[in-house]
Amino acid sequence: MRLADISFNNLRRRKSKMVFVILGLAIGVATVVALFSITAAMRDDLQDKIDQFGANIVIVPQARELSLSYGNIAVSGVSYDVKELSQEDVPKIKTIAFSGNIATIAPKLLGAVQAKGAGESRALLVGVDFPAELRMKKWWEINGAAPSREGEILLGSRAAGVLMSRPGDSLTIDGRKFTVSGVLKETGSQEDSVLYVELSAAQALLGKPGKLSLIEVSALCKACPIEDIVGQLSGVLPNAKVSALQQAWKARRQTVDQLTNFSLAVSAVVLAIGAMIVLTTMMSSVKERTREIGIFRAIGFRRTHIARIILLEALVVSVVGGVLGWLAGMIASSLTAPYVAQAAVTVNWNPALAALAVGLSAMVGLGSSIYPAMQAANLDPAEALRFI
Amino acid sequence: MALIDIRGVSKTYNSNGCVVQALKGIDLSIDEGELVAMMGPSGSGKSTLLSILGAMNPPTTGTVLVDGIDLYGLSVEKRADFRHEYIGFVFQQLQLIPYLTAVENVLLPLAISKRPHREQEAMAFRALGRVGLVDKARRLPNQLSGGEQERVAVARAIVNEPPLILADEPTGNLDTQTGEEVMRLFQSLNEDGLTIVLATHNPENTRYVGRTIRIRDGRIAS
Ligand SMILES: Nc1ncnc2c1ncn2[C@@H]1O[C@H](COP(=O)(O)OP(=O)(O)OP(=O)(O)O)[C@@H](O)[C@H]1O
Ligand SMILES: [Mg+2]
Repeated sequence: MRLADISFNNLRRRKSKMVFVILGLAIGVATVVALFSITAAMRDDLQDKIDQFGANIVIVPQARELSLSYGNIAVSGVSYDVKELSQEDVPKIKTIAFSGNIATIAPKLLGAVQAKGAGESRALLVGVDFPAELRMKKWWEINGAAPSREGEILLGSRAAGVLMSRPGDSLTIDGRKFTVSGVLKETGSQEDSVLYVELSAAQALLGKPGKLSLIEVSALCKACPIEDIVGQLSGVLPNAKVSALQQAWKARRQTVDQLTNFSLAVSAVVLAIGAMIVLTTMMSSVKERTREIGIFRAIGFRRTHIARIILLEALVVSVVGGVLGWLAGMIASSLTAPYVAQAAVTVNWNPALAALAVGLSAMVGLGSSIYPAMQAANLDPAEALRFI
Repeated sequence: MALIDIRGVSKTYNSNGCVVQALKGIDLSIDEGELVAMMGPSGSGKSTLLSILGAMNPPTTGTVLVDGIDLYGLSVEKRADFRHEYIGFVFQQLQLIPYLTAVENVLLPLAISKRPHREQEAMAFRALGRVGLVDKARRLPNQLSGGEQERVAVARAIVNEPPLILADEPTGNLDTQTGEEVMRLFQSLNEDGLTIVLATHNPENTRYVGRTIRIRDGRIAS
């Protein structure tokens, strides 16, 4: 017989009580695991979206007076005192310390042109590097194909409407002929009104060889602070204005952060309840076993032996509770995450979370059994047996 | 030198403002190999003296030496070790653990020893054999008669081979015949060299012992 046998014997004998404690801990751990994995999934999802939704850094020329914009406003004129970006600036971006985080660099040249197909209009021409552009704008759906040969052009849906052109039609831009290779499905943004051509073609058309209006950069930033990347880019491009496009995500990130805080608070409460359950059950268990513990002490068990018996029971129960809680939490979060997050998020079956769950449960279980164990260990054998 | 040496021991209980002087200056020495009975009416202090002797109950005054060890000069944990090593208790109310079988009850004191399982079992069965209960080793206490339970308690007391057995009213709950059997068991254990001190209020039991100490009102009467 070992001390552990005494513990296991007790657990077996007091099954219903122990099941109660295990459930208490498991519910606590399940709540923590579910909340944790849902918020983690939401954070991942948010980050994926930030990455997916293209540029999160925009580099434009440093200008005193500039009304050239791509964000929401049309290009009106060209300011000639602007020190324009050039194609030589692109490789510099790759030299920053955080270059590993840079996923895509999409240089662009913008200009107003006269476009003539079946219809005619002034339009915004954007010269892009198509492979980079397509990688960045994953939401693009093209009716037809992206330009792959010289003399091909991609039209935004509204532009195609105004110019009354379809894939395969011909267009004249500032007197030069282009073939429409594809039309973008409506995106609901200003991209719908734009004409996209290969960068070099735009440079030739607009008479600005080697020049760029802006560079969009998408940086993968799971952990890195985007501000640091912006700072480093400003360092290598002193004549450019580098800014991060984070506004759009701030609100959602705030929501996720709030949910995270809320989860922490709920977890703390639920775990505290679990701890109370363990504490009261262990206390009553110790009380019921007063005589038995008195016998143990009388036949020479040390106080530490008694404490070990009680704590081993607590450990077994809380590890079982932790494992069950983790399982329940993962299943619950896998099922509910899409509704809670209101997005198609996927929950990660992360082994570290399992370890964390079991560790947490063991901590709560053991922590709240310390006092009962001490009570048991400090029982006076003569008093406990009352055989005097 | 005597195995047990009790000097000037008194014990005052003070529970809820009710002060009881259970022992009033006890001097007593018991030699190794003695079989001693403490006789006295209920409330005279027999159990109190046994628990003090058994390193479980610090006296209010006085010293208790067992094998030259000052019991109440030891730390609490060391006193537990002392109990483990020196003393086998047979308690007044048996105090078998109801959900453990006879042999498991006997194994209990060995749970804190580092002995391997086989050796523990061998020791437990030797002890059960000594009290003649090997065939009922796997029974739970409530499947045993009062006398058999008493013998399991004795087996648990001797399993660790302590030099000193303390028994409180070992025949208290038994009929005359079973009580006599138990007393003969103590006699034969004593013949094997164990020192035994038992408390009883039954004068019949004095027939089996080497020395009778009469206690009255917390004092040794004779
Ligand atoms: N823990 C205690 N607290 C208060 N008083 C106690 C305690 N234990 C014993 N007493 C008192 O001390 C006195 C001696 O009790 P003790 O149990 O030693 O007597 P006893 O001789 O063993 O009696 P019995 O034959 O009934 O077992 C009694 O008056 C009892 O009420
Ligand atoms: Mg008594």
